[in-house]
Amino acid sequence: MRASVGTGPGPCRAIPPNWKLGLTLSVIVASSLIPLEHWPAHGVLLALTFAGLSLAGVTLTYLARRLALFLPMLLVFGLTVPMNQVDRSAAWAWTIALWMRCTVSFLAGLWLVHVLPFAELLSTLIRWRCPRLLVAMLAFMYRYIFILWEELARLRHARDARDFGRSTLLIRWTTNAQLIGLLLLRAMERAERTHHAMLARGWDGSPRFLADDGERNDV
Amino acid sequence: MHIRDGILSPEICVATGLISLAAIGFSLRKLRVDLEDRAVPLTGMLAAVIFAGQMVNFPLIGLPVSGHLLGGVLAAAMLGPWAGCLAITLVLVVQAVLFNDGGLLSLGANILNMGVVGAWGGYSVYSLVRKWCGNGPLSAIPAAVIAAWLSVLAAAALFCVEFGLSTGSREFSLRGIFTLMVLYHALIGIGEALITGSILGFVLARRPDLIPTPASTGVVNGTGRFVTAGLVVAFAVAAILAPLKSDFPDGLDKVAQETEINTLSIERDGLILSGYEVPVPSGFWWSTAATSLAGLLGTGIVFAMAVSLGRAARWKLPTLAVDGGHAG
Repeated sequence: MRASVGTGPGPCRAIPPNWKLGLTLSVIVASSLIPLEHWPAHGVLLALTFAGLSLAGVTLTYLARRLALFLPMLLVFGLTVPMNQVDRSAAWAWTIALWMRCTVSFLAGLWLVHVLPFAELLSTLIRWRCPRLLVAMLAFMYRYIFILWEELARLRHARDARDFGRSTLLIRWTTNAQLIGLLLLRAMERAERTHHAMLARGWDGSPRFLADDGERNDV
Repeated sequence: MHIRDGILSPEICVATGLISLAAIGFSLRKLRVDLEDRAVPLTGMLAAVIFAGQMVNFPLIGLPVSGHLLGGVLAAAMLGPWAGCLAITLVLVVQAVLFNDGGLLSLGANILNMGVVGAWGGYSVYSLVRKWCGNGPLSAIPAAVIAAWLSVLAAAALFCVEFGLSTGSREFSLRGIFTLMVLYHALIGIGEALITGSILGFVLARRPDLIPTPASTGVVNGTGRFVTAGLVVAFAVAAILAPLKSDFPDGLDKVAQETEINTLSIERDGLILSGYEVPVPSGFWWSTAATSLAGLLGTGIVFAMAVSLGRAARWKLPTLAVDGGHAG
């Protein structure tokens, strides 16, 4: 599993996280509000996001791979409207606007995931007065995603070693469901053990975070 | 399932975001009461499991694509609707912010459709079906199967409403998209129902104590459960029946036309739901037939699955293993 978070140096990384989120949301809202008649504005937004992506160090190969997964669904979704009309002119205009909006928004989102590390997201959420409990759950989830992912990879490896990757559709469904079920059981047992360990360290149900200035405060 | 940015209008994104915020706030408040100091590890871990579980692809018959778990009903069946809603919310946040899977501006709509409808609505249907089946442990499987399918269809119907309100266009029909959504989600719903039922059956055979009976949790009162379940069923039925809307005028319209009262009616622009035109069905008889047939077939398949999975679990239960399943 590979999160698309940029970790290397770059001009975009130096931007404060508030600005990164604000900038991305502004581009998405602007692309949603600009009508198709003002298509040069869409072109400017597209050029800006491309520039941002190249500054963030996104390679063309990676971009092409992500777009190859994203565009077909969008094309089919958009084409459904004009294909079902008697008078297609208005529907085509709407579909082209939809494609433009979604593509600009997708690229803006891609820029954000490349320049906003998870720690910055958490600190931003804390600064924005997001409920502590929710931020703590998010941090906990992020901590265990990678552990569970590795566990899942081991389970898959064991399954493939037993059936050599060859099995019927029914067996694949059954084993996949068992795989998730087993992961669920192990994770819930792990959660119980972790909870006991947290209690042993004085956990009282109220999350506390290290503030950005290094002092230990209730947030 | 994820709605991308640009599909819904900013107004609808803000409105759904506010509803989702209220739902998250309510869930957080309730969660503190239900799970106390276990809320963070249990909910966080469950969210991580669902996130990892969504990476497991289930092959589809004769199609070059695969499906995966959505997890709303599964999460709610394990830890209740509040933790379930929050777990799905966390999954959606991580998917949007770390993987660009699903929109940022439309995060509220995604949380509403999958987290709130999936967990709250799914749990209401799940607990009602379990109650009707006598609240036995085995009733969890058919209840989860039915709840999972209905919640996916309800989410699809809700998306159609959001999309219709976002577009607000009278110049062209959105029927093609609605038909596509209902057909697609009827299939996704069957997959989700089967996956949820299979996983719950597996967990039930090994750790039945991890799946509490809804009555013992006491997290949703009877009226709330009934109302929410009714809403989910209504949305699911609307998704199936929307394309069957008659183009003939209703009784009042007919009388108005015959008595020429309608000449006095005032056409008002900007009414979003004027003339029940959110689904805007017209033309193409095949899409109507296909959608309804899919709905009927889906209903039949889901009920057959519910019964057969329940029987399969009954057959397996005597060989209970209580070691937590450390094989593999």
